This record gives sequence, structure tokens and C-alpha cells, in this order.
Amino acid sequence: MASAPKSDSSPPVAQRPRARPLRDVVDYELLFDCVHCGLCLEACPTYVVTRAEMDSPRGRVYLMKALAEGALDLDADAVRHLDLCLECRGCETACPSGVRYGKLIERAREYVERNVRRPWRERIRNRLIAALFPYPARLRILLTPITAADRLGMRPLIRKLAPAAMRDWLDLIPPRAAPPPMVLAPPSAASAAAPAAVVHHGCVAKVLTNAENLNTEGALAAAGYRVARMGRTVCCGALDLHHGNFARAKQFARANIREFQRLGDAAILSAASGCAAAIAAYGDLLADDPEFAAPAREVSARVADLGTLMLARDYRFTREFRAAVTYHDSCHLAHGLGVREAPRQLLRAIPGVTLIELNEADLCCGSAGSYNLTERAMARELVRRKADNILATGADYVVLGNPGCELQIAAELRRRGAPVRVIHLADFLALAIRGANA
Amino acid sequence: MPTGAHASLDSATVAELRAILGDDAIVSRPTELKVYECDGWTIEKNAPELLLRPRSAAEISAVLKLLDRRAIAFVPRGAGTGLSGGCLPVGAPVMICTSRLNRILAIDYANRRVEVESGVVNLHVSNAVRGRGFFYAPDPSSQMACTIGGNIAENSGGPHTLKYGVTTNHVLGLEIVLPDGEIAELGGPTEERLGYDLVGAIVGAEGTAGIVTRATLRLTREPEARRTLLAIFADVEAATRAVSAIIASGVIPGAIEMMDQLIIEAVEAAFHAGLPRDAGAVLIIELDGIAAALDAEARAVGELARSSGAREVRFARDEAERATLWKARKRAFGAVGRLAPNYATQDGVVPRTRLPEILREIAQIARRHALRIGNVFHAGDGNIHPIVLYDERDPDETRRAIAAGREILRACVAMGGSLTGEHGIGVEKISEMPLIFSPDDLIVMSELRRVFDPAQRANPNKVIPAPGGCVEVAAPRRQAAL
Ligand SMILES: Cc1cc2nc3c(=O)[nH]c(=O)nc-3n(C[C@H](O)[C@H](O)[C@H](O)COP(=O)(O)OP(=O)(O)OC[C@H]3O[C@@H](n4cnc5c(N)ncnc54)[C@H](O)[C@@H]3O)c2cc1C
Ligand code: SF4
Ligand code: SF4
Repeated sequence: MASAPKSDSSPPVAQRPRARPLRDVVDYELLFDCVHCGLCLEACPTYVVTRAEMDSPRGRVYLMKALAEGALDLDADAVRHLDLCLECRGCETACPSGVRYGKLIERAREYVERNVRRPWRERIRNRLIAALFPYPARLRILLTPITAADRLGMRPLIRKLAPAAMRDWLDLIPPRAAPPPMVLAPPSAASAAAPAAVVHHGCVAKVLTNAENLNTEGALAAAGYRVARMGRTVCCGALDLHHGNFARAKQFARANIREFQRLGDAAILSAASGCAAAIAAYGDLLADDPEFAAPAREVSARVADLGTLMLARDYRFTREFRAAVTYHDSCHLAHGLGVREAPRQLLRAIPGVTLIELNEADLCCGSAGSYNLTERAMARELVRRKADNILATGADYVVLGNPGCELQIAAELRRRGAPVRVIHLADFLALAIRGANA
Repeated sequence: MPTGAHASLDSATVAELRAILGDDAIVSRPTELKVYECDGWTIEKNAPELLLRPRSAAEISAVLKLLDRRAIAFVPRGAGTGLSGGCLPVGAPVMICTSRLNRILAIDYANRRVEVESGVVNLHVSNAVRGRGFFYAPDPSSQMACTIGGNIAENSGGPHTLKYGVTTNHVLGLEIVLPDGEIAELGGPTEERLGYDLVGAIVGAEGTAGIVTRATLRLTREPEARRTLLAIFADVEAATRAVSAIIASGVIPGAIEMMDQLIIEAVEAAFHAGLPRDAGAVLIIELDGIAAALDAEARAVGELARSSGAREVRFARDEAERATLWKARKRAFGAVGRLAPNYATQDGVVPRTRLPEILREIAQIARRHALRIGNVFHAGDGNIHPIVLYDERDPDETRRAIAAGREILRACVAMGGSLTGEHGIGVEKISEMPLIFSPDDLIVMSELRRVFDPAQRANPNKVIPAPGGCVEVAAPRRQAAL
């Protein structure tokens, strides 16, 4: 065929010198698990929105393979489509071929971060997120002006003055007017023979949604668990893994592992499913660490979830709690840990609760760690879709298992003035156990 | 070749397309085009020069009018789950993807039909009507991703084809944008088609007649009840004997699916469906209909399986067990990915009674080429799917895989069967067409095609091999293959 038009070429990105090929970074053989069947397409939130193959799992695996084989340069397009991935792992649930997508994208992200020099705005934003989020004390300081403004009723004014980019961020922070979540009584000393459980309190969760930590502990205690407490809690490392900062993630993991080891064989929970999934992956993360490989595997195997533990003790609800409820599958609980049925079964066991199934229940809401701060447009699109589906159920409550989803979905429903209450499973259990008006 | 001269894509045309569709519907940079270089048939690869992502029939019409004026060829693409390279660009610079035409337009329960855009995903149709006790019967194993447009192009079937028929039995009418940009309505919402069956001509045309944009589909009532059983055999021979015995008894099961040992191994590694790893073959048999009659029927079928040599027959006790069995079957192709880096799924048909023979032949072909070949297929209608495992990084093994596939198809034809049950000809089997069709047959087919696409610019170089006895289509199609 004569003179084919010159396709526009993808804009290059500033690369650091002497980049190692991706082949050395990802587990190259894992890429061959993908047989290009496409069954994952509709399970991928970004594909569902853009309907373009490069925003699909199959497309991203293909890009990674091309990068690994040197068939493609790490140009702006490749970076863009890898960046847009939520790491929700919906594709792993759909994939018949067992592609370990989460593992692949984590390594690919690390590769991108190491080899690409981002524009200054992104650089500053990412550094801020990395410097603030894992540290509750710093976060609290950051939030002081907003809490003060709320106290003076000035949030609407600030929101109006803030640039659009800031507005979505602001909306995520729950206003003071929100009803304080019910907090179960602190766990009393259970007998030494009772099975033990420990809740990792997280970092952002501890500042913004600490009641969920306490209610998780309270519910466990109510079901007869001996609740242990960690002495020193550091970030689980999920945030760093999403941003390709493996070194710090490993540091955090080691510190947590030491602490978990001190607590014997206690089941490990987190009110944030993203953190629980990150801890469940410590075994993988530290597989090559001579000192920590074995303890990491052991700790990972202890990760559990609230629903399953409550059911295991055959917990019986005694009060009636009349409510129409729908359940949203948080990604790392459903796709990461495979927990889907237990929370639903537990909700159905509460006398008076009607569970209405949510359409696209396990499609990501766009929160995805700090994704809603870095990829605003896609995050907004996904949460709109989620809210539409929630409103279609007519439920009074949306129950879910992750504070990130809670902030994200609640912000959207507040923007729409919808009276549906978004509530963490632990907080909902607190209402059901204590009685709504207690 | 008497195809109208095809022109290449120039930047002025690209600019005009951009004006018609807007920036976000145009993909032109190589990194992004790369992910469109193949479908589920990965042996051959070739990226389009330009990808268009229109949102409506009107946009497609405008695009095709322009391409027609410029004599530029195009290839339609749905979800790209095809297994015969149907949407591989072969001398077509422009790819047009229907993934954004994904609205369900109207559901008419009273008349049992649904109107959808062609990019709607197969499973989404059933999901939309399940609450009211209906489903869309053709259920390819790729149904969670493949589009109705792709199903129409390939006349797709699925496990339940045995009882309910293939796509063509469920398409009442459709809207197609012809290669000159004209929008045509064919068929209609009623059951009876008057005059020539033009819908029937489009279904199975593999995108060579234009781009289907809308379809009116028949909805089927969910059966009142189902019984699903798993029959376990020492070898595939005994399993195929059971298939013949069941069909001969007059029972028409909803589905009879067979998996051989290699596939059982893959499926167990993937899903732990509880299939016995030491079995030579299993059959999944599903009966559906009126609850009262089903138990007796299921027992009778179980007995037939036993008397044909089944060492065990298990009945799914509840919906969860049934779902596990079907998940294992429907995702079997993908699960094979765990056994080898690549695979090529073949798709041939033999008369049901000759299943044992073809399976023996396939085993011999595998030995001859030192390849592993698994079998998972719709046994009820003799539609086999041998899956040839290979590693694309080994050029010699890749060549052997292609050769083995060809030999299997020739064997099917020699046994009085056919080249494809449901995956289409695409590029994969175009060279084999003369095995079944005489030169005259092929000329009639290209004349029919010309009625819709006189210049042969819609998905050129597919389905019908170039006349003149030239079997092997030369470049450009093999260019990126090995
Ligand atoms: C794991 C797996 C299992 C499968 N199981 C089955 C099965 O059980 N039964 C079965 O029949 N097939 C099966 N297939 C094959 C494939 O899924 C079907 O052929 C399906 O119909 C293709 O749909 P698609 O949307 O992916 O089309 P694509 O692959 O995108 O395209 C297929 C062909 O259709 C044309 N086309 C697409 N859309 C249009 C349109 N709107 N108008 C005109 N032409 C169009 C293309 O040009 C191409 O020639 C399977 C595939 C995989 C990967
Ligand atoms: S992790 Fe989520 S967003 Fe990323 S490719 Fe998989 S399904 Fe898509
Ligand atoms: S489902 Fe799995 S094997 Fe199939 S394309 Fe997606 S990632 Fe690849």
C-alpha cells in the first residue's frame, strides 16, 4: 500500500537516563498467563466508562508486555493508560486464566515512577499525599482549618471560593453535622481461651473515621473475641504500593509484622479493606527478604474480615432493626480478599433488615486509595454511576467495608442532597446491636 | 482481484473524520493502536492505521459515506473476543469499533423482544430481562464480554444452541449501515419475514456487508426448572457413546458439553469445581422444561450415561452447584491459559456419530506435531473445539500449532463435517474454504456479498478467498504473524 499516512506519534515523556527495561521489573512470565480472551473487559471500571481497549485489563497487560519486550517506548500514552488503572482488581475476579493483575500493575507502577519525570504539579501533589496520608498527626493538623470553618458554618463559603480541583477534595471530608456514629462499648476482658483478634487502626481511617475501628473491636468483642490492641501502628503500606514506592512500603510492612508477631496468633482485621488486602499481600511483598519472608507469610495468612468472624461465632442479633439496606462491595474486600457473601449473610441475619441487591455492586466507586485525588474526572464518573445504582434500589442505608468508599460515596450523595445514609459495616452492626435509639 | 481499488488513508481524510466524530472518538497514535492489533486469535497481528469510536448509527453513516468517497476500506470490531481473526485489519486501514453503541433501547415483554444497539454485551441483554423471567438464548462462553454485533457477524452459538438454536434463530430484524453509508432496516419486529430473508444473509457475514448498528432480538422464557448433571467417564469414547445414546432416545437436553482430561486439569487448577482429575472425560448435561417431568427425564438420562460406560453420575443439588459446573465450562478456554503461554482454539463440526473418530484423529495429529491439544466442546451438535497449546516465543512450535489446526479442519471436512461451528472463518480459515465450497459456490457467495458491498471495502480479504484457485492469500495478512 502506497504512502501510509504518518500516524501521529505519542508524545514522549521525560525519562530518566539508563532505564532498565520493564522486563527486569515485572515478573515477565506472569504476563503470559493472559490469553487475550477479553472476558475481563466489562469487569473493568475504566473500560466501562471509556469503552476503549487501552483502558481495559487486557489492553494494559498488552501494553506492559510490549514495554517489557521493548516493542514500545514508555511514552505519554502508555503512562496515561497505566495511571488510569484503579488497581481495583475487578479483572482478577473476571479472569479465567488466573492473571495476577494486581501484582503486575504494582511493579509496572514502580517502573513508571522510577523512569518518568512527572510534571511539577503532579510531583508536588504526589509528594504531599505521600508525606501526609500515612501520618495521622500530620493529617489532623491539615484538617484543623476545615474543622474550624465547619464550626463557624463557613464550609459553603470556602467551597465556593475554592478552585474546582479543590472542591472534590473538600467534599470528601465529612461535615460536622453528620450524625456521630454509634460507638460500641470498649471490649471488656474476655477469657484467655477466647479466640483473639486485632484491628489495625490505619492512618487516614484513624483521623476521619475512627468510630469504625472502635465498632469493629466492639462487634468482635460482642461475638466473644478477645480483642488485642497493637502497641505501635504504622501505615499498612498500601498507598506506597499504589504509587510505586516499594522501599517505604516494605519498611512499613516490617514494622507492622513485628507488632503482629508480638500478638501471637490473633486474627488480623482492618476497617479499611484496602489495608487488610495490603497486609494479606505482605507474604508476596517480602518474599525475598531473608529475615521477614516467613513471618510475612504467617501474618498474611492471619488476615480475616469482620463478617466472616461474626458468622464463625454464630453471632445472634437480639434486637429488631427495621431498615432497607443495600450492600456495596469494596474492591479489596471482594476482589482482593474474595469476601462477598459473609457481610451479606450477616446483614440478612439482623431481624428487620431487608437486603436489596445493588446493580454493579462490585464495580469500583472511584475512591481507590488516593485515586480520587489524582484522577478526579474518572473518579467522579464512577461515583456518579455508583450513586445512580444506589438510588435505584430505594434503600435507606448503603453498607460497605471501607472508609475510602464511604467518604467518596457519601460526598456524591451529599452533593445530590440524597438522604441515603452511607455506613461502614461495623457502624451498622453497632446500630443493630445497641439499637438505633440507644 | 476484482475488488474495487482501495485507497490509503491520507491526513486530509483523517482531519475530516476528526471533524465528524470529535477528538475523543479518534485513536491515531501507535501506542494506543497497538492494543487493537489482534482479537482472541493471537497468532496474527496487525494494528489498524486509525481507530474510530463512534457513538451512533448516524455517525457511522457519515463516516462510511466519507470512506466510500475516498475508496478507503474498513474493518468493524465489537469486543474483540473473536477467535478467527475476524477483526484483524487485512488491507483495511480504518477500524470502527462499536463498543460505545451500548444502549438497550426498548424491552417489549408482551411481544417477547428487545431492541438493542449492536455494541451491547450479550450477557447484559439477559441481565436486563432476567427479573421478568426471560433470557436471550444464544449464550457463547464469551457472553460476559462479546457484543451482539459480533454475535450477529459470527452467527454465534453456545452450549444451549442444541435446544434453542444459534444467533440467526433469534434475530428478528436489524439496522445496518451499508459500506456506502446508507442506513438500511432489514427484517422487522414480527416473527414472519416476507420476501427474501435478508436478515439471514447478514447474520454470519462477518462484517463483510457493512456495520450492524441495531438489532431486534427474540426473548425466550426462562424454563420453569432445570436439572444439571455431571457424568464421569474413563475415556472420550465412552462419553461420545453416551451423547449418541441420549440424543437417540428422543430427549433434547438444553445442553451437552464435553471436556477431556487436559481441560479438566486446567479447569480444576482454576476453579476447583470438584471434577475428578483422573477422569478421561466428563459430560455436563442440562435438561430444562416443566418441573414435573424433569426428574424422571434426568434419571433416564443418568441411566443412559451409565449404560454407555459412565463410572459415576452426579446431579447438581442446587443453583450454586449448577453455577459452579457452568462456570467451569464457560471459562474453560481461559483456564487453559494456565497450562501454556498461548493457545489457539479450533472450531470444527462433524456428524455427531463420528465424534469418537475425530477425537482419535486429533490425538494422532497432536502426537505427530508434538503438541498438547485439549478438547472442550458442544458434544450435542458435534461442534468440536480442540485447543492447541503453544508458546508464541517458539516460532517452530507456533508453526506446528497452525499446521495441526489445519489438519484437524481437513479431517472434519473429510468426515462429512464443516470448517466452523460458530467462530467464523475470519482470516484463520479462509484458505480452507475451497475444501468445502466449489469455485462456483465461492463465486455465488462473492456475488451475494457484492450486493451489499460492491467495492469490497467492508472487512476486505475475509471469508471468501480470492478467486483463481489461489488458496493462500499473500501479504499483508501474514506479515506480522510469526
Ligand atoms: C473465551 C472465549 C469463548 C468463546 N466461546 C464462544 C462460544 O461458545 N460460541 C461462539 O459462537 N463463539 C465463542 N467465542 C468467539 C467470540 O466470542 C464470538 O465470535 C463473538 O460473537 C465475537 O463477538 P465480539 O463482539 O467480540 O466481536 P469481534 O471479535 O470484535 O468481531 C468478530 C467479527 O464480527 C465483526 N463485527 C463485530 N461487530 C460488528 C458489527 N456491529 N457489524 C458488523 N460486523 C461486526 C468483526 O468485523 C469480526 O469479523 C469465544 C471467544 C472466547 C475468547
Ligand atoms: S485493576 Fe481495576 S481498573 Fe485496573 S485494569 Fe483491573 S479492573 Fe481495570
Ligand atoms: S480475562 Fe484474563 S486472560 Fe482474558 S484478556 Fe483479561 S486478563 Fe487476559
